[in-house]
Amino acid sequence: MSEMEKKQAIYDRYIQSTHTIGRICTLITLILLLAAPFVIGIYLGAMPNMAAFGKAMLAIGLVYLVSGVVEYLIYVPMLGAGGSYLAFITGNLINMKIPCAMNARDIVDAKSGTPENEIISTLSIATSSLVTILVLALGVMLMIPLQPVLQSPALQPAFENVVPALFGAMACKYYRGSIKIAAITLLVMTLLFTLVPSLTGSTSFMIIPSGAIAIGLALLEHQKEQKKQSLEVKR
Amino acid sequence: MNVLTKLNSPVMYLICGIIVLFVALVCVFFAVRAYRAGKAIGMDTARMKRTIVASATFAVIPSVGILLGVIALSGSLGTPWPWLRLSVIGALHYETQVAEVAAEAAGLSGLSASQMTPEAFSTIALLMSACIMWGMVLALFHCKAYTRKLSGGGTEKGSVRASENKPKKKKLNLSGFGDKAMTAMFIGLVSCYIGSYIGTFISGKGLFHFSGSLLPLLVALCGALAMRVFLLIKEKFNAEWVDSFSIAGSMLFAMAAAVLFSGIM
Repeated sequence: MSEMEKKQAIYDRYIQSTHTIGRICTLITLILLLAAPFVIGIYLGAMPNMAAFGKAMLAIGLVYLVSGVVEYLIYVPMLGAGGSYLAFITGNLINMKIPCAMNARDIVDAKSGTPENEIISTLSIATSSLVTILVLALGVMLMIPLQPVLQSPALQPAFENVVPALFGAMACKYYRGSIKIAAITLLVMTLLFTLVPSLTGSTSFMIIPSGAIAIGLALLEHQKEQKKQSLEVKR
Repeated sequence: MNVLTKLNSPVMYLICGIIVLFVALVCVFFAVRAYRAGKAIGMDTARMKRTIVASATFAVIPSVGILLGVIALSGSLGTPWPWLRLSVIGALHYETQVAEVAAEAAGLSGLSASQMTPEAFSTIALLMSACIMWGMVLALFHCKAYTRKLSGGGTEKGSVRASENKPKKKKLNLSGFGDKAMTAMFIGLVSCYIGSYIGTFISGKGLFHFSGSLLPLLVALCGALAMRVFLLIKEKFNAEWVDSFSIAGSMLFAMAAAVLFSGIM
C-alpha cells in the first residue's frame, strides 16, 4: 500500500467514525434538551401545557422548520461532516460558527470539499464553541458583579450592534475578490428592503434569495472562466 | 419561594450544567479527533494550531454578545435556562422570539418575570427546545448521505490526493465550482444583512423617508474600514499573524464606534 493510499484509508476511517460519533452525540444532545423541560417541570411541580405548546408550535415552529432546513442545506457543504454535527449541536451559526469557520478556512487557504477543509472546520467550530461555553460559564459565575457594567446604558449600543460590526468586517474581506457578484447582490437586496420595508422582519429568510443571486452570478462567472480556459488550451 | 428564585436555584444550575458539560466534552472530543486525523494525513500542525488560535480569538467578542443575551433573558427566565440555551444549539434572536410566542400561548401577556408561572416556564422551555431542533434532526438522519452526495460531485473531492495536489495551480483553476459557490453564498449572506441596514435607513420610517436608523449601517462601515486597515497592514508588512486578530479587532473598533455614534445621534 502506498503512502497516499494509507493516508486515504486513515481519512476514510475518520469520516466514517465521525458520522457514527456525530449521530450518537446529536441523538444524546437532542434527548437531553427535550427531556430537560420535563425534568424542570417535575422540579417546579408543573409539567408543560401541551395545548399551549401545540398552539405555539404551529405559530412559530413551522417558520423555524423552513429556516432549519435551509440552514442545514446551505451550511453542511461549508462545514463538512464533523463541523456540521458540532455546529448544529452548539448553535449560533450565523453570528459565529459560519463566519468563524470561513475565517479559519481562509487563513489556512483550505478548499471546500477537501480533507483539509473538513479538519479545519471541525477544529474551528469546536474551538469557538468551547470559547463560548467558557465565556458564558465565567460570565454566569460573575453575573452579579458584571451585570452593572455590561448592562450599563452606555455600552448597550455596542452589544446591540455585534452583528453589523461582524458583517461589515466580513464584507470588506469577501467583497474584494468578487466585486461584481457583491455589487449586484447588494444592489438587489438593498432595493428589495427599500421597496418592501416589512421584509426587514424576515431578514434571515431573505438570505435564500440573496444567496441564490450570488451563487447564480458566481456560476455564470465560473462558466465564462471555463470557456476562456478551454479556448486557451485549444490554442 | 417564588418562581424566579426557583429558576435560579442550584437544582436548575445542575440540570442545565450537566447538558453544557456534555456538549463541552463533545467539542473537546471532536477537536482532538480532528487534530489527530489531520496529523495522520500529513497536514501541517502549525496551520492547525493557527486555526485554533484564530478561532479562539474570533469567538471571544461574539461570545460576550451572547453572554449579554443570557443577561437579557435572565430577568424573565432566570439565569440557568438562558445559559443552557445560548451555550448549546440556540441563538439569541431565535430564543427571544420563541420565548415570547410561547409566553403568549401559555397565557402571559409577554415574557415577563412578574407574570411567570411554573407551568408557563416549562411550556416555554419545551417550545424553545423543540422549535430549534431541526438542524440537529436533519444532521442525525441525513448528514451522512448529504456529505457523501456532495463529495461525490467533484472528481477528487474528499480525497487526500485532492489536498496534496493543492499547490498545482493548473489543477485548482480547473477544480469544481464548490469553492466559489461557498464564497458566493457568504457574499449573499452578508449582502442580505447590509442591504437590510440600507433599506431600514431609507424606508424604515416610511418609503424613501431617509429617516430610519443609520446606526447598524455606520457600524458595518466602521467594521469594513477597520478590516481594510488590517488587510493593508498584512499586505504591506507581510504580517500573516494579523489574520488571527483582524475580525475581532475590526468588530471591537466598530462596536466602540457604535457607542460613539449613539452618543452623537
